[in-house]
Amino acid sequence: MATQTGSNPIKRFFIGKPIPTSDDQHQRLSKKIALPVFASDAISSTAYATEEILIVFLSLGAVGMVAYSMLVPISLIVIALLTIVVMSYRQTIFAYPSGGGSYIVSKENLGEYPGLVAGASLLIDYVLTVCVSVAGGVAAIISAFNGLAPHRVQICIGFILLMMVANLRGLKESGALFAPPTYLYVISLITLIVVGLYRVFVQHLAPIEHTGEAKHLLEMQGSITVFYFLKAFSSGAVALTGVEAVSNGVPAFKKPESKNASITLIWMAVILGSCFFGLSILAQHLQPVKDHEGIIPNTVLAQLAEQVYGGRNIFFFITQFATFAILILAANTSYADFPRLGSLIAKDNYLPRQFMNRGDRLVYSNGVIFLSVASIGLIVAFKGLISALIPLYAVGVFTGFTLSQAGMCVHHYKHREKSWKLHILINGIGSVTTFFVAGIFVVVKFTDGAWIPAILIPIMMVGFKGIHRHYTRVRGFLAPKEGYKAPFRTHTVVVLVGSVNQGVLQAVRYAQSLRPDKLIALSVIENSDDRARLDEQWDKFGLSIELDTIVSEYRDLTEPILNRINEIDNMYNDDLITVIIPEFVTSIRSQWLHNQSALAIKARLLFRPNTVVTSVPIVIP
Amino acid sequence: MGIKDVFKSASKPVREIDSERLVDRFAELRLQPLGELEARDRTKVCGEVKRMTIKPRSGIPSTEIVINDGTGDATVIFSGRRHVAGIEHGHCIVIEGVAFADANRLVFLNPAYSLLPMGEG
Repeated sequence: MATQTGSNPIKRFFIGKPIPTSDDQHQRLSKKIALPVFASDAISSTAYATEEILIVFLSLGAVGMVAYSMLVPISLIVIALLTIVVMSYRQTIFAYPSGGGSYIVSKENLGEYPGLVAGASLLIDYVLTVCVSVAGGVAAIISAFNGLAPHRVQICIGFILLMMVANLRGLKESGALFAPPTYLYVISLITLIVVGLYRVFVQHLAPIEHTGEAKHLLEMQGSITVFYFLKAFSSGAVALTGVEAVSNGVPAFKKPESKNASITLIWMAVILGSCFFGLSILAQHLQPVKDHEGIIPNTVLAQLAEQVYGGRNIFFFITQFATFAILILAANTSYADFPRLGSLIAKDNYLPRQFMNRGDRLVYSNGVIFLSVASIGLIVAFKGLISALIPLYAVGVFTGFTLSQAGMCVHHYKHREKSWKLHILINGIGSVTTFFVAGIFVVVKFTDGAWIPAILIPIMMVGFKGIHRHYTRVRGFLAPKEGYKAPFRTHTVVVLVGSVNQGVLQAVRYAQSLRPDKLIALSVIENSDDRARLDEQWDKFGLSIELDTIVSEYRDLTEPILNRINEIDNMYNDDLITVIIPEFVTSIRSQWLHNQSALAIKARLLFRPNTVVTSVPIVIP
Repeated sequence: MGIKDVFKSASKPVREIDSERLVDRFAELRLQPLGELEARDRTKVCGEVKRMTIKPRSGIPSTEIVINDGTGDATVIFSGRRHVAGIEHGHCIVIEGVAFADANRLVFLNPAYSLLPMGEG
């Protein structure tokens, strides 16, 4: 009697046909394709890094025109930092050709706790990458179509949901998808910078003329304090987020993996650094303005493009579209990384096992869904504004950098390969620098939101440890000792009976087939008439098992049954009780008319030790 | 009644409420409380019928009832009968006889019994 196993048509429509596990294979990427796949996150941060520096000076610090003289120095510091980090990660690529994320490197070399700190901070940052990138992408659209500004949050949520569905379908990190937008963005950005610099230095293009709020911000006459300088620097340093992606994905490269990956990493750093630097020079001369509350709808990049291309023409829209596309892709890289890291942590028993489950399309579905829900939560909480999210961001990334570089130092010290002292020096510089930067982030942006990751990371650690303890305890409890034999137990079967009907008769027959040591039928009745009727029918159908009747003085069904089961349980020390519940199975339309009490009883018995609950279904067509 | 008592009574299990009701009900009869019942003593107890079990043991049925007076419970077995007149759920009966211990319960086998009128002590 086989019934057809169902397939949910709604799920099939959104998610697609299931893929067998044997189809799971790694595609190898060439450098040209790997660059967009792994670098889109890092390169995309140029879309908002300059803007965030300006916001700190103009909107929060209220320093006015002086801000523009600070752009180039800050971007030079950020580029120096980028160089240090890239040098350090180059070594990770060679040391961990199988892919060395911060979690793995710090867990292997520094131990459990640093590994967990790295894991927690990366998980937080992947969520923020989604938020910041989607918010940035939507900001680019809003710059092009200002009328959409009031719907910022809804548009962000829409894109996150879209990405969730796409990733549940198993959107591979395919070059075909990633390459065009990334290259389009890089080309449009370089064009903007080259044309812009030409127009500024050769054609003497004037700065952007501002009105309203922007003009007001520029008229401020503050002085730059160390605090605001550091704050602006830490906003600019978000440009570095995503740099670690290449080292995570070394196995995806064509052979020789490490060499190709390190070359790609350098390319990425050069593109990222030069674009960021170019934009800073351009912004210094054209003087775009942005505030932190989104009153000025246009992004800095949009303002620059509008001024350089002389209005909202085709070039302007291409730039906006490319910005939007690369930011969405950058958000999407988190959809590859978060579930993968989640599954790694879950594999080490620090996260619920559910994060290891792969869905129909071979993706870690629960990780994808969790990431989407968390990102939507943050987008709603921070109204989809990048500058509100930035202080939360990058703390985790730099914590990850620090731990992974420190882990690399230990790695070099342990293995002592050729010129290991030099390697320790490079990674040591990387670790110390990023540590200080992370420290600066937490201090200068603590009140703006950096306290959230600073508190969340320890909380997550406690959670990880708790989950780990639980899994360890369960495993220790379940593991059979040498020569373990399952004990024989006194078996009592209790059949729950409402009235005598076919379902009950079948349930009693089934109970008898179990050949228990003791078999009881249990009925909760309302009054003695019920009992008499039941007794009569019991006799009529020749049921030869003991019939217990209890009256429910307080009209409750569950409590008397549980009390009786407790009594039966108390009679033996080594017993196992099977509770048999006859259930009607009707169609989905009318199922809710039945079995409400059965459901309540089942729910109560679920956590009772030594109790088996069995439903004997009778299908009513 | 202080606020503490209100909380206390709100968290009281139904079982306890029922026990209190029964203790009140049987107080004036001044019989041996079931909670202090010992095996092999001739005694007179009372209680409300809480559970009835019919055991259809191959042609010789027996009726087993459990009575409770709020302090404890005892089992009464009437062998050879599917039904004992007047004994129903919720009825109160007085039992006179000697109980013996069987597993962790006290059992009266075919004792003398009398019915208490419904709704009275």
